[in-house]
Amino acid sequence: MPELLAPIAGNVWKILIAVGDKVELDDEVIILEALKMETPIYCDDNGTITAIRVKEGDAVNEGDVLAVIG
Amino acid sequence: MHSMTDWSKVLEVFGSGIVGVYLVMILLQLLTQLSTRIIDLVEKGNKTGAAAPKPPGNDVEVKA
Amino acid sequence: MFDIFKQLIMSSGAVSLTGGNLIMWLVAFVLLYLAVKKQYEPLLLLPIAFGILVVNLPLTFLMEPEHGLIWFFYHYGIENDIIPPLIFLGLGAMIDFGPLIANPKTLLLGAGAQVGLYVTFFAAILFGFDLREAASIAIIGGADGPTTIYLTSKLAPQLLGATAVSAYAYMALVPIIQPPIMKLLTTDHERKIVMSKLRPVSRLQKICFPIISAMTIMLLVPASAPLISMLMLGNLFKESGVVERLTKASSNELMNIVTIFLGLSVGATMTASTFLSPKVLFIFFLGLFAFIISTASGLLMAKFMNLFLKNKINPLIGAAGVSAVPMAARCVHKVGSEANRRNYLLMHAMGPNVAGVIGTVVAAAILLKNLG
Repeated sequence: MPELLAPIAGNVWKILIAVGDKVELDDEVIILEALKMETPIYCDDNGTITAIRVKEGDAVNEGDVLAVIG
Repeated sequence: MHSMTDWSKVLEVFGSGIVGVYLVMILLQLLTQLSTRIIDLVEKGNKTGAAAPKPPGNDVEVKA
Repeated sequence: MFDIFKQLIMSSGAVSLTGGNLIMWLVAFVLLYLAVKKQYEPLLLLPIAFGILVVNLPLTFLMEPEHGLIWFFYHYGIENDIIPPLIFLGLGAMIDFGPLIANPKTLLLGAGAQVGLYVTFFAAILFGFDLREAASIAIIGGADGPTTIYLTSKLAPQLLGATAVSAYAYMALVPIIQPPIMKLLTTDHERKIVMSKLRPVSRLQKICFPIISAMTIMLLVPASAPLISMLMLGNLFKESGVVERLTKASSNELMNIVTIFLGLSVGATMTASTFLSPKVLFIFFLGLFAFIISTASGLLMAKFMNLFLKNKINPLIGAAGVSAVPMAARCVHKVGSEANRRNYLLMHAMGPNVAGVIGTVVAAAILLKNLG
């Protein structure tokens, strides 16, 4: 199950998807905030969201798992 | 302010400035890379140190 | 009865107002608007604007040598070189050199952007400024308020207000100034280059860096000592993790207090007579020129380095050598993600961004050594 990893460290600002959503390559799935800047994170696979490992407001590091795509 | 511009001085400032900044930054880069590598080795040594302790690395604080 | 009234009016400042004062009020109001409504660097522009306003109210003697309230702030804080180093202490306590330590090549990008400073120096001389004034104008391109104020107060204090306001104004305008240059000097292919994850940096490495930097830089360029020592001390506070009270004080209370005195003092140097001269227009023009050329030289340095690198860097990060932290880094990230959505350049750009802070101080110190 491919995992969506955080490409940079930051805070989870907005989660745009829910478990069960169908996503495609390059969909905007989560918005992180880093250094006061909105950074949208794009999906790198097609599939369905099976799990979301963070909630809004969490601080994440580079490489942390944000979501799992089945 | 209306005196003749001392162009040799201008060139001196221009040249020494660019050369100076690069010199400092290159040296700093090399020292950073060196110390980072040394610390990497020291820390790796400490990690595998339980079974076969490596001798402690150079004291990185000692810089010429 | 009438006499008392007449006396009151005659001793008021209002009768001594000059046209110049009124123009400066306008300048102050514009800056206040930019600070409050548009939020351009409000922490500095607001006190600067207010300083301009009050110093252009006649007969207050706020800047009267040996007597004026604001004169004391200016004399002890700026003329005695205390305030800019203290700001650097706070800056160091907030800065993260991690991305720089992870990729020390970026120090060269910090150097690359400073080339723009010297080009501006040359241009300023062609415009007719003398060497010391030209240096103070050139340092605007370093995009570093305290360094600009530090150098200008020592080399050309008559230009202090103009250079400081230029520096802060253009720093706020980085998101507008940089992208066109970035797109002009890089190919679409170059902008798409993805940079791999930064190697992790250990705590010990982050502690050694400020110590090694401080020693190296101060041994090579002693004139940089007031600024570099404070920058690295602040950083050492932060990275050691053992003096959190000092770190907090440096980055919060001390920083904020000093910023108040800095802004007010700098603003109060802008009397109508010093500010309203054609020189100031040239300074604003050259300041913009400095930002543009420094962005370009940083970008070009990155492209040059790429000729020798196997793991190519995305040349956009060169633009972050202009040390408006973190505005330039954010700008690089944005332009990078426009070219390639999967590119998250923010942290990569922070390397050159903080390297630029060091670079600007070194450049200023060398200028000081040559011209001071």
